[in-house]
Amino acid sequence: MSGIARIAREEWRLWLRSKIVVAAALIVGVLLAATSVLTINRVAAEQEQRLQQQIAAEQTFFAQPDRHPHRMVHYGHYAFRRPPPLAVFEPGVDAVTGQSIFLEGHRQNTAMFADTKAAADLGGFAALTPASLYQVLLPLLLIVLGHAMLLRERESGTLAVMLAQGQSGANLALGKAIALLAVIAIFMIPLIAVAAYSVGLGENALTAFSLVGGYFAYLCIWGAVVLAASIILKQRAVSLGALIFVWLFAALIVPRLAINASSAAIDAPGKIESDLVMLAEQRKLGDGHNAADPAFQVLQAEVLEQYGVETIEELPINWRGVVASYSEAELTDLLNEHAENRMRLEARQSRIFDLFALASPTIAIGSASRGLAGTDLATHHRFLRESETLRFNFVQSLNEVHANELDYAVDMNRNADAEAARRARVNAEAWQVLDEFRFTPDSAELRVNRSTLSLGMLAIWLLVAGGIVFLAARRVRL
Amino acid sequence: MFASLSRELSFLAKDRGALFWLALAFVLSAVAVSFGIGEVREQRATIATLIEEDAADRANALESHEDWGSAGYYAFHLTYAPPSDFAFAAMGQRDSTPWKHRVRMLALEGQIHEADTRNADFGLVGRFDFAFLAASIAPLLLILLLYDLRASERIARRHDLLVATAGSSLQLWLPRALVRVTALALLLLIPLWGAALLERTSASVIVQASAIVVSALLVWWLIVELASRIDASPSVLLTSLIGVWLALAIVVPAISKAVIEANNPVPDGGEILLLQRETVNDAWDLPKEATMEPFIEEHPEWSEYATIEEGFEWKWYYAFQQVGDQKAAPLVQQYREARLSRDAQAGIAALLSPTSLVERAFERLAGTDAGSMIAYEDQVRDFHAKLKAFHYPLMFPDEDYDPSLLLKLPRYEPAS
Repeated sequence: MSGIARIAREEWRLWLRSKIVVAAALIVGVLLAATSVLTINRVAAEQEQRLQQQIAAEQTFFAQPDRHPHRMVHYGHYAFRRPPPLAVFEPGVDAVTGQSIFLEGHRQNTAMFADTKAAADLGGFAALTPASLYQVLLPLLLIVLGHAMLLRERESGTLAVMLAQGQSGANLALGKAIALLAVIAIFMIPLIAVAAYSVGLGENALTAFSLVGGYFAYLCIWGAVVLAASIILKQRAVSLGALIFVWLFAALIVPRLAINASSAAIDAPGKIESDLVMLAEQRKLGDGHNAADPAFQVLQAEVLEQYGVETIEELPINWRGVVASYSEAELTDLLNEHAENRMRLEARQSRIFDLFALASPTIAIGSASRGLAGTDLATHHRFLRESETLRFNFVQSLNEVHANELDYAVDMNRNADAEAARRARVNAEAWQVLDEFRFTPDSAELRVNRSTLSLGMLAIWLLVAGGIVFLAARRVRL
Repeated sequence: MFASLSRELSFLAKDRGALFWLALAFVLSAVAVSFGIGEVREQRATIATLIEEDAADRANALESHEDWGSAGYYAFHLTYAPPSDFAFAAMGQRDSTPWKHRVRMLALEGQIHEADTRNADFGLVGRFDFAFLAASIAPLLLILLLYDLRASERIARRHDLLVATAGSSLQLWLPRALVRVTALALLLLIPLWGAALLERTSASVIVQASAIVVSALLVWWLIVELASRIDASPSVLLTSLIGVWLALAIVVPAISKAVIEANNPVPDGGEILLLQRETVNDAWDLPKEATMEPFIEEHPEWSEYATIEEGFEWKWYYAFQQVGDQKAAPLVQQYREARLSRDAQAGIAALLSPTSLVERAFERLAGTDAGSMIAYEDQVRDFHAKLKAFHYPLMFPDEDYDPSLLLKLPRYEPAS
């Protein structure tokens, strides 16, 4: 046992003596620390800002004066997506999607003002996050450190001595693996610190722990690949070249090719496209603003019968409010059907993307990371769904106010003069129908479940890479 | 010279490692441009469908109205920026910034920020397009091809002998490296040229693009050349070169981006929307003059028609829509200028990073850079102004409603 420990210690001694290794490790360490601090500050500021904006939007809504209730339907409201605690490590799609959405009657708007729209464009790698450093840069560091671990012994002739002394190839590989594991463990510290910090912000320990575990597995996969190359290949430069090719392929090329492939495989229509289809259908439903529209005749007959009266003027409720409520419900069904279809297609694109994890563990960790942090596409879709529910609820509550608290005759007469307009208002207390909206991450179990596939892929990668190291180590000969 | 080049070519033909990197470059380039062409064609097909459906929808919407106001309210107009003949090589901002809208006569600020973008994962991860290949991957391939030209000869203990025999070190290494750089450039560019033929890309664009690729490779060649004069082992050289790549491709752009964005704050987009909304909504409760006065300041030509007598009149309705835009205009201007100055500074910062420079140059050639996306937004604004210029002279003097005049509605024409 002490032999293995000595091999590991010796490896470390060599690394510490090598300027290039120390410099590389320091640079990565500094970069990691700087990016973590910057991202934590930025996301923490955003978390606070979005919460304040959400509260301000609610208070402004409540503070509106007495008005015609339909005016409030168009006045609208805002929903803000507050970044989850783990966004300090993995901001995910938030920068691309925009974090606020305007909610109003008869429309589903898109999330607006994505950060990327106003970002300084410096190419694909400029948007550094702690997560992207772990995914792309740390494997490269492991390659620089470890590409010649066993090879060096072969090159310098010490391999023969050690084998002759009775060290088995497996022990030798184990010693090297322990040395590399120690490096990985050290570089896990910033992630563990950020995860602990996010738990302090209210993150669930299970997801934070899974995230740490996922990245540990990811780095171990790279460690194993590096070790395997240093065992199997006979020349330093060949080993380094091969490993850099693997890195280039897995970390840079495959993820982007997977995007190309999922985009080409499934054509998810944009919002305008599906809106156009929908608008044609909507026209059949009638216009919610015009209660005399023929499409509402059937509804009218039903409502008149229900209240046992002959004309809409005799109804105890405001017919215009009834129409608004009915058409909003119909329209929302249509809107939701199309929105769900779009989201389903996007989710399918993402599943295709995730399958490419078979070709690159970087895809697996990226998806797991976003899923666990609650900054993935699925969370964005849930934000869209929840803000839609918020929209529908306040619009329908206002329509109910319109139907029940505003007299039909007064309502119809509202444009006659200033006094008539003043009378066609309801008390501002009615605006309290608006629900409080606080977007929260999915439950920890749900996020872990959603990341099972990606975490499973990582496990497979780890098994395969570990297996190769094991087989190669047993066959170490001169 | 020719003899030494053909000698080096035959050496290259036997170097399996080098052939692998060169083959990889060709395959990646072919894959990148094929996906690019597929995507661009899909976008064109989408636009063609949208134009058709948009026209049908508008015709339908305009069928049953009795006044100019509701005709303006119900008619939407498609605006779009078609992908250029070179967009297949650099999708750039088209994945994260909207390039299609449907606008109508209402306040534009409530419409123009709608983001009909693709799957968010696309914008996050990015596509594998030719620009990315040329900017980021090609330098790595070049490093892998060139780093051990000298060092491998040193390892084989032939280095000094070779240098002594060749007479000058230039005669020895120049042809050897030149053959590799040329092969890499050609293998990257041939698929691009093929795609350009298919897409009928203009010759000047393709010449510029080729020049960018070649100059970037020359810059990286210079870097490798300078580094490989150090008498170090191949693996140390390769490690150092990868370090240089990391610094230029990742660290410098990331730092520049952070600094530029910190120094050029963008107004919160939500504020634009909020201001515009509040103005439009408040107008309902304000005296009509409070809307008409700022409107007339902008449009003195309608001052004699600016008295609103009814509780609701369309011209008042559109006036407060416009006043909403007017109120938000300073903030919008700030937002636009911040984006432009960020982009201008990014252009300067890119001089420090060949990868950023290449990617930005490609996006500019392809019309997918931030400037082009802002130019598209300007076109949408111009079109919206034309819509208003069409409707106001009918609406304000209260001309009799004549649907046949609507055939002359302005049509959106994308800038070519």
